[in-house]
Amino acid sequence: MSQRGFVEARGFLFPQDAPNDPVNLVADVLAREEVFVKPAPWIQFAAGLDARADTHGQTERVWRLDFADRGARRPAFSVRRLSATMHARHVTVDAGKQFIRWGKTDILTPTDHFAPRDFLNVVDSDLIAVTGVRGAVQARSETVEVVIVPRFTPSRVPLLDQRWTVVPPEATMLPLADGGAVLPEGTQTGVRWSHTGDAYELSLSYFDGFNHLPNIEAAPAPVAPGPIPSTCAACPSSPPAIVITRVYPSITSYGADTAVPTRWFTIKGEAAYFGSSSPATDEYVLYVVQLERQTGEWLLVAGYAGEIVTERRAVLTFAPDRGLARSIVARASYTIDPNRSAAIETAIHQDGGGAYIKAEYSQARGQHWRTTAAAVVIAGEADDFLGQYRRNSHLSLTLRYSF
Amino acid sequence: MSRRTIITMSRRPRRSRRLALYKPCILIFVSFVSSWFVPSSALHAAEDARRIVDEAQKRTDAKSQRYEGLLQVFDAKGRISDKQWSFERIGSHGQSRSVLRFTAPAEVKGVALLVVNHPDRASDQWMWRPAIERDTRVALQDRSTRFFGTDFSFEDLEERDVNQYDYELLGDETIDNAPCWKIQSTPKETKSSQYTRSIVWVRKDTYAFARIENFIKDRAVRQLTYSRLENVQGIWTARQLEMLDLRRGSRTRLTLEKLQYNVPMNESDFTLEAIRRQ
Repeated sequence: MSQRGFVEARGFLFPQDAPNDPVNLVADVLAREEVFVKPAPWIQFAAGLDARADTHGQTERVWRLDFADRGARRPAFSVRRLSATMHARHVTVDAGKQFIRWGKTDILTPTDHFAPRDFLNVVDSDLIAVTGVRGAVQARSETVEVVIVPRFTPSRVPLLDQRWTVVPPEATMLPLADGGAVLPEGTQTGVRWSHTGDAYELSLSYFDGFNHLPNIEAAPAPVAPGPIPSTCAACPSSPPAIVITRVYPSITSYGADTAVPTRWFTIKGEAAYFGSSSPATDEYVLYVVQLERQTGEWLLVAGYAGEIVTERRAVLTFAPDRGLARSIVARASYTIDPNRSAAIETAIHQDGGGAYIKAEYSQARGQHWRTTAAAVVIAGEADDFLGQYRRNSHLSLTLRYSF
Repeated sequence: MSRRTIITMSRRPRRSRRLALYKPCILIFVSFVSSWFVPSSALHAAEDARRIVDEAQKRTDAKSQRYEGLLQVFDAKGRISDKQWSFERIGSHGQSRSVLRFTAPAEVKGVALLVVNHPDRASDQWMWRPAIERDTRVALQDRSTRFFGTDFSFEDLEERDVNQYDYELLGDETIDNAPCWKIQSTPKETKSSQYTRSIVWVRKDTYAFARIENFIKDRAVRQLTYSRLENVQGIWTARQLEMLDLRRGSRTRLTLEKLQYNVPMNESDFTLEAIRRQ
């Protein structure tokens, strides 16, 4: 049996007000404990619990243990993972709530379909586990994975009344109401073949399921909605309410990812085509090419994320993956010594419409404590995915005690 | 330097072992004959050196190995950072696979490195990072970097085949009061290595390594010293190894605890799928 866990407190200081969110200081705390038990060589159980609280209404104030993690707010107490892993010779089966990662690139992972995220802070997102079964057969250099997820888990999107939801100027005089999410029913499936060769790694994947990032549907409230949480302090007394609903379209995706170590760099590439039968969903290709190199104490990653829209249908979406496309992205991290590191990462849209730069310094103290300070600068135009968050530049301080 | 090189020394002579079954490997060395030697002497020296390293390798032969390692990293100012890992290896000499998994400190607990060694080329390495739930390949050109803030590089964690190096016997020297052979190894052209050459001191009494000094061009960059030599299940093993980074002035001490050889293990625990199991 083994365990790991931590208690982490974070503080965010946003120097600028946002039109829909005057709060400048946000703090949250997360306690996480994960336990791994191996009662026999062929089976292992993993369980993890999270407990959260925050100062800005991002966490539910409800005393219950959440398993599905499908709510608009983070659950105060939740099962982070609960799974069993069985293996015999070349076959491994993971069943339960677990993390399933596909893809090889780091900046953007178009084939990572079973990895919804918590985007309450768009530029600082955490993975959310999915509940399903993953089977893998590995024989020499070849691996075939089959994933079946009977219950959909969406990404958590920014709250309507908070700064990471940017209301278009033409809608600032209208109150917005959260119409909730239309969560699709049905099983998601995926198959991935991977080859791990001497000179390269290659995977091909197929996914049939739902996009964990939603289309946004905005419609006038059909009837007087009664008291609704307004996002607009200066709205007329009886404005028409706009109900915002999140809809998760069905998609079919074909993807490929590769890593090729060369003499100077590791070249990583990943691409996926997203097709959909939904009339309100775009069809497109997302791709990433990145170069990676470690030299001395430096880890350098730089690349380009691109998008080709083959069929434009959607009016409004929340899609950070597509939002990062058409960007030059880079990350450089430097290990100062065993306890200290520094990193800088950036994404700059090729048209100059938006840019994001994050600088981070992290220092461990003793065997348990780590402090991380970061500064994030976001700039750009209002109609750019990154630029729209230009009032959300911030400083953050994180204190973690690991045990 | 190979993980085996780091943690195993030598055991009883097994001269009856058939040469055909012998899969040479370990940190090996020797350079081409210097021109001022008479050819026959030089050839003799190279053969002697190779024979010594072969013998050292034979004496470390084991079907598997397991230990818990305590890593203490001392920077130039003497400050210490402790790490612990568990290590398992299956197979021997160039055909082996090993998994190294950090058990402390808590923030790196679960991080794992899979090393698949090959007799004819550099190893394949993958790292599993539980924080992002992903494995990543450690590319060949990245192997010279420090392994998780220690003074060991990724390359130092792999096994090497004896045939990937040329050797030269440089003479005799005494290390920690133990008479040793001093042997130089030079990687062959087909071998990808950050080191231009290495000098290894092999104890004459046990055929165990006493020290290894690694060079980039003409500059010594890392020095590994073996100490606390013990006979464990018939294999002379250094229970303490200290890697000195001569450029940074930092050093990492690895102490081997709960060391066992020939423990029953399964091949299926040494795969990419397996390192995901935490």
